[in-house]
Amino acid sequence: MLAALAWRNLWRRPQRTLLSLLSVTLVSGLLVFVLSFQDGVYGQMKQTTLRIFDGYAELQASGYADDPTLDHAIAAPDELARQAQAVPGVSVAAPRVNGFAILASGPRSYAAVVVGVDPAREARISSIATTIRDGRYLTPSDTDAAVLGDLLAKNLGVRVGDKVTVLGSARDGSVAADVLTVAGIYHSGIPDLDRTILEMPLARAQATFQMQDAANTIALGGPSLAAVNHALPGLDALARRSGVTLMDWRALEPAMRAAIDLKYAASMLFYVSLVLVVAFIILNTLLMSVLERTREFGTLLALGMRPGQIGAMVWIELIALALIGCATGIAIGGAATLWLQATGIVFPIDPKLLAQFGVPSRLYPNLSLMSALAGPGALVAAIAIGGLLPFARVLRLTPALAMRGG
Amino acid sequence: MRRLLLSALAALAAAGPALAAPAPNADQILQRAFDNYRAKTSQTTVAMTIHRPTWERRMGVTSWTRGETDALVRFTAPPADAGNATLKLGNDTWVYNPKLNQVIKLPASMMSQSWMGSDFSYNDLSKSEDLLTSYTHRLIATEQAGGHTVWTIESTPKPGAPIVWGKVTIKIRDDSVILEETFFDQDMRPARRMTADKVGVIAGRPYPVSLTMQPLDKPGQWTRVETQAGRFDAGAPAYLFTLSNLQNPRS
Repeated sequence: MLAALAWRNLWRRPQRTLLSLLSVTLVSGLLVFVLSFQDGVYGQMKQTTLRIFDGYAELQASGYADDPTLDHAIAAPDELARQAQAVPGVSVAAPRVNGFAILASGPRSYAAVVVGVDPAREARISSIATTIRDGRYLTPSDTDAAVLGDLLAKNLGVRVGDKVTVLGSARDGSVAADVLTVAGIYHSGIPDLDRTILEMPLARAQATFQMQDAANTIALGGPSLAAVNHALPGLDALARRSGVTLMDWRALEPAMRAAIDLKYAASMLFYVSLVLVVAFIILNTLLMSVLERTREFGTLLALGMRPGQIGAMVWIELIALALIGCATGIAIGGAATLWLQATGIVFPIDPKLLAQFGVPSRLYPNLSLMSALAGPGALVAAIAIGGLLPFARVLRLTPALAMRGG
Repeated sequence: MRRLLLSALAALAAAGPALAAPAPNADQILQRAFDNYRAKTSQTTVAMTIHRPTWERRMGVTSWTRGETDALVRFTAPPADAGNATLKLGNDTWVYNPKLNQVIKLPASMMSQSWMGSDFSYNDLSKSEDLLTSYTHRLIATEQAGGHTVWTIESTPKPGAPIVWGKVTIKIRDDSVILEETFFDQDMRPARRMTADKVGVIAGRPYPVSLTMQPLDKPGQWTRVETQAGRFDAGAPAYLFTLSNLQNPRS
């Protein structure tokens, strides 16, 4: 009965109601798109950045994160990699040896990180294999081959086919020395990588650095970051059983995580004010209509309706308005988002500039239950709580005074 | 080796009996310790033990020094390491590896890295004079121990000096043997400590024959340097401190 009354009341002033509906629709639709867009862009950013070298997650020898030395090693990395690959969501697990060494060519020498990799598996984890500028990436049959970043190659003055000397400390404290032939030069676009990382075949690195069959880390890849994130509980259980440490993307790229958290916090401020402004506009309209209808409420009270029922009726009007507006908003915003999700959004910004931040030139929003419901949900909640104000006002009415208009 | 390591670590040997001068100031104590220690040339035979929680490694080393800045260190054992050598001339450091048969000049970015897998860094070798030139010194304690007076000196880096440590405290015995050196990080927490485990006599000098360097944040990890024999001021042929001798030793 109350709901029927409320519905009738809404359409007694169709223009006002439609205007209110429109503002709720617009804002909730906008929130659906903006949240989806933000989620999509950050998702792509994370994925692109992690794809360059880290992998979507990583198993590390325990203690390696605090003290990244050869001493912290996984004894049987191949077996562990097989088990990790068996966890649903993980499609590839690549063991790595991470040594620190001097690279030298002729009179030039530079400090570098020497990473022993399994070429076939590594190429499915890291995009370095696809950014080879000169020569080629490592192949499974390579023995003394190496690929290094273009900045490192420039510093050392080496080209494809040249020899590079590796001199460092092996795991047992002896001298690790080797001579490798440059097979390829990559350009990942990340100066820190291009300046410091040389990749060589895993078996050779294990021999050079006296690692026997051990590795320091196992990089993990999957069809998407989300898939690997879903696999984290299973991987964590595996890590605990095997006495190693699991690093998720947050742990691998703490700076990126912090940047994204900061951006979310900043945009949250904007979303909250948007929701509040709209909630206030709607409330204002409703308060006006309550004032206008004081005589009507007085009559209803005189007829025997309890103040609580009248208050509930007003509140239902408000909620109906908010729900209808939000539903339309979700529908329109969601449809627009899905369409852009299929076509992608191109920004007129230099792609090279975007690439520095791991952002591709074509951006795709990512509509999810969360991004579709969070904004409109907050709006409905804000209006529902604010609606207690007119409700309280109606409760204070007495029939005699109200019928005289105040 | 002796000069290289020990001057970095500032272990000193006094030629002759200690002076009974009352309350010398910190600069004098340190300067005298360094001066007494600095023979014009030296040759020492040293055993270096690198200890890690999971393994221990013992290496034989012969070293030559000349003047204040030049040194040659050659590994003699075990067979896997024999032949590796480090040459320091002035501010430059080169390493030689027999397997590669190649001399490599150390890049500046490697200088803070571990030297031959030990708890000493290349900086400890090459910046051995820093303590005298880049710090200001203050005598903070005087005590009696084992029939000797032991001074404690606190050294703080001069403003703008390229020093990674917050400060260094050094305990020096009155016969100019340095007993202990503690390096503090920029937050003034002790980061690593070198201790003279044993003071003996080498070629007639009071000498810290066993020194242990220990990073304080890594329990179960240390490097010990034990001097077995030494000759001081016996002269050193000029060819010793050359790149060609680094690669092709004459003796």
